[in-house]
Amino acid sequence: MPQIKLQSSDGETFAVDVEIAKCSVTIKTMLEDLGMDEEEEEVVPLPNVNSAILKKVIQWATYHKDDPPPPEDDENKEKRTDDISSWDADFLKVDQGTLFELILAANYLDIKGLLDVTCKTVANMIKGKAPEEIRKTFNIKNDFTASEEEQVRKENEWCEEK
Amino acid sequence: MMEDTTQVLFTELPVPLLSTAALLRHHHHSPRFQPYQRLHQPQHFHTPVQDLRTYHRLHEEDYQDDYDRGKTHISCLYPEILAIIFSYLDVRDKGRVAQVCTSWRDAAYHKSVWRGVEAKLHLRRPNPSLFTSLVKRGIKKVQVLSLRRSLRDVIQGIPNLESLNLSGCYNVCDVGIYQAFIQEVPSLTHLNLSLCKQVTDNSFSKITQYLKNLEVLELGGCCNVTNTGLALIAWGLKKLKKLNLRSCWHVSDVGIGHLALGNQSLEFLGLQDCQRLSDEALKHVTGLTSLTAINLSFCVSITDSGLKHLAKMTNLKELNLRSCDNISDIGMAYLAEGGSTISCLDVSFCDKIGDQALVHISQGLFSLRSLSLSACQISDEGLSKVASALHELETLNIGQCSRVTDKGLQTIADALTRLKCIDLYGCTKITTVGLERIMKLPQLSVLNLGLWHVR
Repeated sequence: MPQIKLQSSDGETFAVDVEIAKCSVTIKTMLEDLGMDEEEEEVVPLPNVNSAILKKVIQWATYHKDDPPPPEDDENKEKRTDDISSWDADFLKVDQGTLFELILAANYLDIKGLLDVTCKTVANMIKGKAPEEIRKTFNIKNDFTASEEEQVRKENEWCEEK
Repeated sequence: MMEDTTQVLFTELPVPLLSTAALLRHHHHSPRFQPYQRLHQPQHFHTPVQDLRTYHRLHEEDYQDDYDRGKTHISCLYPEILAIIFSYLDVRDKGRVAQVCTSWRDAAYHKSVWRGVEAKLHLRRPNPSLFTSLVKRGIKKVQVLSLRRSLRDVIQGIPNLESLNLSGCYNVCDVGIYQAFIQEVPSLTHLNLSLCKQVTDNSFSKITQYLKNLEVLELGGCCNVTNTGLALIAWGLKKLKKLNLRSCWHVSDVGIGHLALGNQSLEFLGLQDCQRLSDEALKHVTGLTSLTAINLSFCVSITDSGLKHLAKMTNLKELNLRSCDNISDIGMAYLAEGGSTISCLDVSFCDKIGDQALVHISQGLFSLRSLSLSACQISDEGLSKVASALHELETLNIGQCSRVTDKGLQTIADALTRLKCIDLYGCTKITTVGLERIMKLPQLSVLNLGLWHVR
């Protein structure tokens, strides 16, 4: 199986099967647009992803290499977050910082499946919490002025309706 | 195990090759591969003032969270990513994330977060920024839960409104409708006035004048609507696909005649409990050539002869005759002989439907996928006819058919291998022996036994 090399922002290089690397649309497009020859010893630089995260991403992509392509988003279908596989759930048992970096990497590398599952994980951390609890969970400062806060509260009162 | 496999793939290369440098240069000129040039600096898309404030806030946080330094904070996620996360939340949680901080509010108000959401509103106290915020979020569907202010506020506040549900707002009256609709609202395609009992035909002069693009109109329980209202609907609402007139007791055959002349796009017609309708109405219905579904349940004045008309309707797929007391075995013969191609038939609680009806059904209604016979006077013998002929059947509801026994279930289990749903609630003569046969059906996903839980 042909391989390519991916270089992380901190200079580490990883050899990866081309088919696995191509689950990143960004890498796939890069290979196609630049006509990179898989036989040559090319290195794809990924200046936005550090080695620790790249390692995780490759681990995820390797496990999911035979997955069918994720379905297109359907407007009418309610989005679920309870369908995370147990492997993914285990894989994402990481600290918040790592989770957010995985999201940024999945976004940059354009790996829909990984972006979906990481975003779902964050959504599950938010579900059922009041605004103050959410702030505590993610260490967010409330920067609303009193009048802004009152306005946004009024604008969203209806969302509590069953 | 898996981790080990991947470890093997990691091979370090000490020196980047020359071509990499070229690629890197190319990369810098091509923002395409670097959608976010300044990583870890949130992008903002609102006014400079807000930008400045947000910047301050982040700066402060960097200070505060010394212990956490080096860790990526959630504020590093771009608004677009926050919007993806928020899109997974239900409406209550979407409303709550908007109240966390200014950058979350701005991300939470992205249109993508609220796609398809219907705002359920109590319109009581003045709330000046509510409608603006709904428009900003791209919300185009509104259900009014209670109304103590003018309906006009909603229509004017949300200019692109697509769906307005006033179901159960008992105080909606003609005057309110007159004040609300003073000019065309071309975006509005769904209007639900169910149980707005004060609404009369007068309202329809405005509705038909200004809501020309209505596709769905729900008038269930609007008991003041008469044939005159239907004449206006026929004249004005040419795009109507779905009309529900449940319990509009004043509506008679003449009114249905109006619809047949004007509403050629109609696909669904709900006439449940319109007790004045006779077979003449069904003759008019044949003029609605696009009709695919009709609900005639509790239309007690409809008789077997009326079904002769419906049998000729080539597009009709769903026919609901629940509790039509004057429909009998002969009606089923008329449907079958008339060449009806319906796929869904409900004759539950029709006391005059018995085994002979099933003989007729099995001799002609070969397209049936769903058949409901709850509380009909049928037995194992009739079911054996169905089992021998209707191999496409996916749903069979025979609840409260107290003459059906295990023998009938066995016949079903042997022949109707495509069955997905079956209702056997209140079938007092069946035992676990018959149920076990049914449960072996390969496609079965719903087995309803009501209160009997046999496990």
